[in-house]
Amino acid sequence: MGVLSTLLRGLVRGADRMAEFTSKKGARTHNKGRGSRPTGLRLSSRKFISIRSMIPEFVVPDLEGFKLKAYVSYRCPRGTEPPLTARSVFADVVAPQIKKDFQEGVFNKEQLEKYGFESQQEGKLFKLYPKNYVR
Amino acid sequence: MRLTALLSMAARVVVPKDYRFGTNRPWTVAAKRLNPAGKKRRKVFVEPLAPADWSVLKGDTVQILTGKDQGKQGKVIQVFRHRNWVILEGLNTHHRYIGKTEDYRGTYIASEAPIMLRDVALIDPSDRKPTNVQWKFTEEGDRVRVSLRTGRIIPKPVVERRDGIVPQQWKDGPKDTSPEDTLEKTYVPSLKTLEEDVMEKMGIQETRRNKRSYWY
Repeated sequence: MGVLSTLLRGLVRGADRMAEFTSKKGARTHNKGRGSRPTGLRLSSRKFISIRSMIPEFVVPDLEGFKLKAYVSYRCPRGTEPPLTARSVFADVVAPQIKKDFQEGVFNKEQLEKYGFESQQEGKLFKLYPKNYVR
Repeated sequence: MRLTALLSMAARVVVPKDYRFGTNRPWTVAAKRLNPAGKKRRKVFVEPLAPADWSVLKGDTVQILTGKDQGKQGKVIQVFRHRNWVILEGLNTHHRYIGKTEDYRGTYIASEAPIMLRDVALIDPSDRKPTNVQWKFTEEGDRVRVSLRTGRIIPKPVVERRDGIVPQQWKDGPKDTSPEDTLEKTYVPSLKTLEEDVMEKMGIQETRRNKRSYWY
C-alpha cells in the first residue's frame, strides 16, 4: 500500500484499465473460469456426468529410502551436467551394443529392432511422432 | 494503469545514456531526486578504462595516495565502474545526520565518500606497501594480478555473501540434501520415455489406445 500511495502521488488518477479481468472483478452473476479443463460432459438434459479418466490423478511412488530433500546444501560445488540429447542417449544405450555386435560380426542392417529401433509408431501408447506425451 | 505501471517499473530500471551515476542506486528515491526523468545534468568525464584492465575488486585492501586520509589502508566495500570510484570502509569520511524527523535531530554518523581510482593503489601482501599492478597469466593459464615492483601475485579477495553464509561452514538443516546425496549419479540411460519408465516401475497397465484423430 505504501508503494501504491507513492504512485498515486503522481499526476495521473484513475482505475487500472490494463489489469487482467478475472473472475473476481465482475458482477456476482458473471461466471468466468480461471482456465481449468473440463472433467466430464454436459448432457442435453443439463445434467453433468463426471468422467473419472478426465480428472487428473497424481501418481506418486513410494518415497521410502529416498535421499533427496527439498533443499540443497550450500556446501555443494556448483556445476552442470552435459545436456541430455537424443545423440547422448544413443551413444550411452545403443552404440555400445552395435559396436559389440559389429566386432563379433553379427551386426545386420535389416534387424535394427533389437537395438530399440521402432519402424512404426502405430500401436504404441506414447508415440514419438506425433509426440503425444509431455516429457 | 496503476498496478501494471508499478509492476513494469519494478522489473527493470531503464537509465538514459547520459545518466549521471552517483552513489545511490538508480531505482531509489534519493537517486530520482537527484536525477529526475527528463533532466539533463552537467556531463562528468570519466577516464576510460577497459573492463579487462580493472584491477581493484570489492574486498581488496588498498592504500589512499592523495587526500585527507593519505597513507591509510582500507578495505574496498563498493566499486563504481561507471565513475571509476571506490568506497573504502571508514576512510575519507564526512559526518551527517541520518533519519531526521520533525522533533529528532537524527543520528550523527560518519559516511564514506567515494575516491577516484587514480588516488588508490593496491597493496603488495609481501611488504604491505602500495604498488602498481598488471594482469598476467600463470603457468596453469589463470589470469592473475601481479605486482610490478616485487612480482608477487595478489590473490583475488574472497567474495563474502550478503547474507553472511560461509558455504564451507554451513551445517545442513533437516530439509537440506547433503552434497554426497546431491552429486550421486542415479540416472540409468534407457530408450524409454519418462512416462513408460514410471508405468513399468509402478506396475500400471494401459491397454486402451487413443482414437485416430485428424487435424488440418
